[in-house]
Amino acid sequence: MKNALIIIALLFSVSVYANEKDSTIINKTGFSLDFKNVFGTAPFEFKKEYTTAFGEKLNFVTLNYFISNIKLTKKDGSEYIVPQDSSYFLIKHLDSTSHGIHLNGIPAGKYKSVTFTIGVDSVRNTMDVSKRTGALDVGARARGMYWVWNSGYIFFKLEGKTINEVDSLSKNFQYHIGGYGGYETKTINNIKVKTIELGKIRVSSKKHPTIHIQVDIAKFFDNVNPLKVAEHRSVMGGPFSGKISENYFNIFNLENVTY
Amino acid sequence: MLPTKQPYSWNLIGIVTCLVILILSSAFAVKTFTPEPMVLEIPSNFPKPTYDFANNPLTKEGFELGRKLFYDGSLSKTGDISCGSCHQQYAAFIQADHDKSHGVDDQLGRRNALPIFNALFKKSFFWDGGVPKLDFVPVNPLENVVEMDMKLDSAILKLNASEKYRSLFKNAFGVDKITSVEVLHAFAQFMGAMISANSKYDKFVRKEGETLTANELEGLKLFQTKCSSCHATDLFTDGSYRNNGISLDFNSDKGRAEVTDNPADIGKFKVPSLRNVAFTGPYMHDGSFETLEQVLEHYNSGIKQSVTLDLQLMNKDGKPGIPLTKEEQAKIISFLHTLSDFELLHDNGFSEPNH
Ligand code: HEC
Ligand code: HEC
Repeated sequence: MKNALIIIALLFSVSVYANEKDSTIINKTGFSLDFKNVFGTAPFEFKKEYTTAFGEKLNFVTLNYFISNIKLTKKDGSEYIVPQDSSYFLIKHLDSTSHGIHLNGIPAGKYKSVTFTIGVDSVRNTMDVSKRTGALDVGARARGMYWVWNSGYIFFKLEGKTINEVDSLSKNFQYHIGGYGGYETKTINNIKVKTIELGKIRVSSKKHPTIHIQVDIAKFFDNVNPLKVAEHRSVMGGPFSGKISENYFNIFNLENVTY
Repeated sequence: MLPTKQPYSWNLIGIVTCLVILILSSAFAVKTFTPEPMVLEIPSNFPKPTYDFANNPLTKEGFELGRKLFYDGSLSKTGDISCGSCHQQYAAFIQADHDKSHGVDDQLGRRNALPIFNALFKKSFFWDGGVPKLDFVPVNPLENVVEMDMKLDSAILKLNASEKYRSLFKNAFGVDKITSVEVLHAFAQFMGAMISANSKYDKFVRKEGETLTANELEGLKLFQTKCSSCHATDLFTDGSYRNNGISLDFNSDKGRAEVTDNPADIGKFKVPSLRNVAFTGPYMHDGSFETLEQVLEHYNSGIKQSVTLDLQLMNKDGKPGIPLTKEEQAKIISFLHTLSDFELLHDNGFSEPNH
């Protein structure tokens, strides 16, 4: 009896789907964000040797960052804010399926800029666990992107090894940058809100723009606060984390927009 | 939705059928998911809870599941350390006889354990207040390499692999697949429902037929003038972070400053509750005192003066300390013994469940 019901339901849902197909396309206007990690002019790859602007030879084993609270702005200043509960994404270099963020249900129109948070806003950092699913699930996808003893998300994580030219010995480095500003007392706030100017892009039923954003890890080191690995091998919170967040704020830049 | 050129009739039949199926299946689900609500009585002499069970409705099944998890050593890397190993009921939920807690492979933690009762009322957790929400407390000991050394996602995989746990989670939360939400909610239900409010002192202040002896009453008066500015309210803590002068060297443990990165917080630790303090020795975050006599003598004559020492512990003559005669110290200690809640220590509802 139960099986028969399920089969009937399945058949009908297929017919519903078939009929609705062409009407839902109109509802599915949207856009995508595509994050492309690079090192200067070279593609970014794990275990490959790179040299920083300061002559340090290194390779990488981890690169993860949170992108959240996405919104689009029109020329007249009006905004479309992606519903907050579905606006948290964790980009993991290792998982190429996570490099693209696809958003639907965006009102058709012309937009001039996109804004997102690199990290996780402070409210979400202290919400009930039931509000922290998907990319924010500390027991699944967000494993390793959360400080358990000083609780809060790690916004940006870059790890690897430097290679000594003389003896070719390698030494680990790690940058775990977070800090949502604190709950009862003020603590370090490294939440960075980035706006990227797009010129003019069009979202419509026929035009689904993909905004390609380049994330240049060479500039993670060579930026407003020059970062020499030998001097700061391990930064996990602490005052210097603010300097590093100022650096990575600058490494997210528009490559182009495609349709 | 915009109109389509297609006929609607099939759509309609489809939708109606789907609805019928949905209703039928939810009826099935309801049948298997009927946890029994649990009502907590908030003691009249306590402040307002800080944890909101509205997001995590307290039920008998949820509480029992939290209790089972709390005593389950298989949630540690070595399979033998549970939360209950370091939070022992007979020691008022701290680890008896240890100044630093012992975790997996007999490794030493760097701090003395804190008791878990009355978690429902705490403003923050751990000696440095690093975790502001009860929901996220268990992740810290679980993942800490010197405590249980088990990543939350590995623990969840383990739980999902157990038929027994799957059915317990289904009964408590109505889910087929266990995720961090249910695991952390179950822990919060067990800890949140563990209220300690039935000491001699409680029954005295709530006028439930207990009386204090003359000695205990004098101890209470002394406590109110000398100690209650920090050990405030009937939780016996104001939830703040302070330096009470037990050490001059904070290099290995900066306390609250590790969370705030503020040099003014170096050497400050959370004011602990003094409920059940007769059982929770050794004392202080580093377990530096064995007995309450030593603690009282510390406040009288042993306070070490560093830049972040609490100003309340400074006297007008510029010397630190809370002057207390031996007799006064003894009276305060006899009062502190009235904070022992023997019902908590013997309540089978909080003990390790039988397998
Ligand atoms: C190896 C021993 C050990 C294990 C195992 C352990 N704890 Fe603890 N617990 C401690 C220590 C030590 C502290 C104090 C540490 C600190 O403040 O840094 C503590 C503190 C706590 C606190 C904070 C209380 C307060 O007043 O702030 C709670 C709650 C707690 N533990 C719950 C748990 C739970 C739940 C588990 C199991 C998932 C667990 N503990 C496992 C040793 C342990
Ligand atoms: C200036 C605030 C302050 C005052 C006043 C104060 N305390 Fe404390 N007390 C603390 C702090 C902070 C701690 C924890 C310190 C640590 O571990 O670093 C503490 C710890 C304790 C402990 C250890 C509890 C445990 O479980 O480890 C006892 C017992 C205690 N105090 C008793 C007293 C008594 C009795 C008085 C009055 C004579 C008193 N305190 C006055 C701040 C204070």
